[in-house]
Amino acid sequence: MSTPMETVTAPLWGWVLLTVVKSLAVLIALLTAFAYMTWLERRLIARFQIRLGPNRVGPFGLLQPLADGIKLFFKEDFMPEEADKPLFLLAPAISMIAAFTAFAVIPFGPTDITLWGVPLFQIANPDTGILFVLAATSLGVYGIILGGWASTSKYPLLGALRSSAQLISYELAVGLAIVGVIVLSGTLKLPEIVEQQAGLWNLFVLPLGFLLLVVGATAEVNRAPFDLPESEQELTAGYHTEYGGMKFAAFFVAEYVNLVTAASVITTLFLGGWRGPFVDQIPLLGLFWFFVKVFAFVFFFIWLRATLPRVRYDQLMDLGWKLLIPLAFVNLFVASLIAL
Amino acid sequence: MGVITGSPVLTTTVEQFERLVNWARKNSVWPFQFGLACCAIEMMASAAARFDLARFGAEMMRASPRQSDLMIVAGRVSQKMAPVLKHLYDQMLEPKWVISMGDCASCGGVYNNYAILQGVDKIVPVDVYVAGCPPTPDNLLYGFTLLQEKILRDHPLHPVIQGKKTNHNEETRNRAKEPTTR
Amino acid sequence: MLVEYGFLLIYMAVGLGITGVILFANTVLGPRRRPSPAKLMPYESGIPPLSSPRERFHVRYYLIAMIFLIFDLEIAFIYPWAVIYQQLGWAGFWEMLVFLGILILGYVYAWKRGALRWE
Repeated sequence: MSTPMETVTAPLWGWVLLTVVKSLAVLIALLTAFAYMTWLERRLIARFQIRLGPNRVGPFGLLQPLADGIKLFFKEDFMPEEADKPLFLLAPAISMIAAFTAFAVIPFGPTDITLWGVPLFQIANPDTGILFVLAATSLGVYGIILGGWASTSKYPLLGALRSSAQLISYELAVGLAIVGVIVLSGTLKLPEIVEQQAGLWNLFVLPLGFLLLVVGATAEVNRAPFDLPESEQELTAGYHTEYGGMKFAAFFVAEYVNLVTAASVITTLFLGGWRGPFVDQIPLLGLFWFFVKVFAFVFFFIWLRATLPRVRYDQLMDLGWKLLIPLAFVNLFVASLIAL
Repeated sequence: MGVITGSPVLTTTVEQFERLVNWARKNSVWPFQFGLACCAIEMMASAAARFDLARFGAEMMRASPRQSDLMIVAGRVSQKMAPVLKHLYDQMLEPKWVISMGDCASCGGVYNNYAILQGVDKIVPVDVYVAGCPPTPDNLLYGFTLLQEKILRDHPLHPVIQGKKTNHNEETRNRAKEPTTR
Repeated sequence: MLVEYGFLLIYMAVGLGITGVILFANTVLGPRRRPSPAKLMPYESGIPPLSSPRERFHVRYYLIAMIFLIFDLEIAFIYPWAVIYQQLGWAGFWEMLVFLGILILGYVYAWKRGALRWE
């Protein structure tokens, strides 16, 4: 692992152009992943419930996300009269950009494949690494709380309050669970953490940390059984009740991109990232293995939604504060004993 | 289509574009999660296994009117509920459609009395009426496919291309009978 | 190292561009009608709102936020320790044990005083 400071050989315009192209490719891939995750989720939930799911639009209903997207583009653009107008506009944008940003430091393929010294399968590799992911995902809370506040409506405000309380509660557990991995690896950089798992995945070293991270991440991305911010029976649609059209879709995008990011982080920290069989012979296979692992997690999250009922709010807070945090301390203790 | 005269190429392009938008809208009708009476049970059944409204991409029952496209008036509308229903309809974003599900919603049905609104079309514009007491899920699905056909005949670009905003107030367009008061 | 943050900035700018285009396209493409007064009201299950939505909310949200702030700060302290932990060896282990011991003491205190109770 060399720092790109020495390795970037391209002229300024070269790596700027390369990064723009890379960013565009990643963002479009994320948006496509979002679109097809909605399709996959609807199809899978339908199969779990002995239904068929969307199958009328294109083969297997594959054009369904396209139809939804176009419809949302052509939906009325609306803002309530009493809303705080700049914040109302800003909130979905913050959510979406924060979700995009968190993915930037994830290595989704072998990072030693470079062009002009710039790694192709990672946007950026700052020293802060995993800390940057935590920071960026925390920014998403601003989108939620601002959206709820700016709507000047009761359901969104309550939904936003609940949502932010949930997110910050589980962030502690997630943060502590990740420290366990850092203790083992001695670095925050994600590519190096992946390299260190060439022999043995962290999953087998720290099974407790893995479990904590999976539960915490499920709550962080508001997925069932922790989808209280959007519990329809109590809060209609939670913080995005007053949002329609593409502004609502932006929140939706943020949620699914966060899900991808969460799956990627778990994959990178505990499942050896892009490493897999034959990846040393054919480096491009790394992309494939990364995709397979992330896909497995996405499937797992959808499976959870089809299986588990939603928890009550006090159960949620108890689980976060009274079970996950003590367990996270235990995990950290075990990890620091192993590392010595 | 008669929207733009003079340029056949442009007219065709517009037609194709409108067809695309209509296709998207037709296949992505998200109903409003809103049930009034026994018909709502049949509405739920039509979204569940065996009938499966999801095949048409319409199982995304949104709880917020801002995110839904279709209001299925499932059940009798009492005089007390009428202003609420009207208000909810008003709060839905354009474009929006209404299916009047069942005899009671369509014309009062067996409840020919003072307490029940004799037809929901007195307060909101209805696109499709579904008969039955209550209509079976197949009936609702048939009504839904009729609505899809209706959406295909729409001209979504009409106001945009003619270059003027349709500035008439929605209240007048919907012929409000029950003004909502604060 | 700065070049990495250059990559990040470019990426975020592209992300901002895509978000902006998406949100702006909706404004351009959506049907434009003058919204009725009913539509402009906040959604409250079909009933015109009677009071301002900017109501006071429960104190426990503040409490949770404060406890979060304390603990998150502690975790922020743990991160740099974790990175150089293997160089510190046992000394680092005992130091962190003392630090976390104080932290856990506070945590137990908050728990016993009912700060984490949610009814």
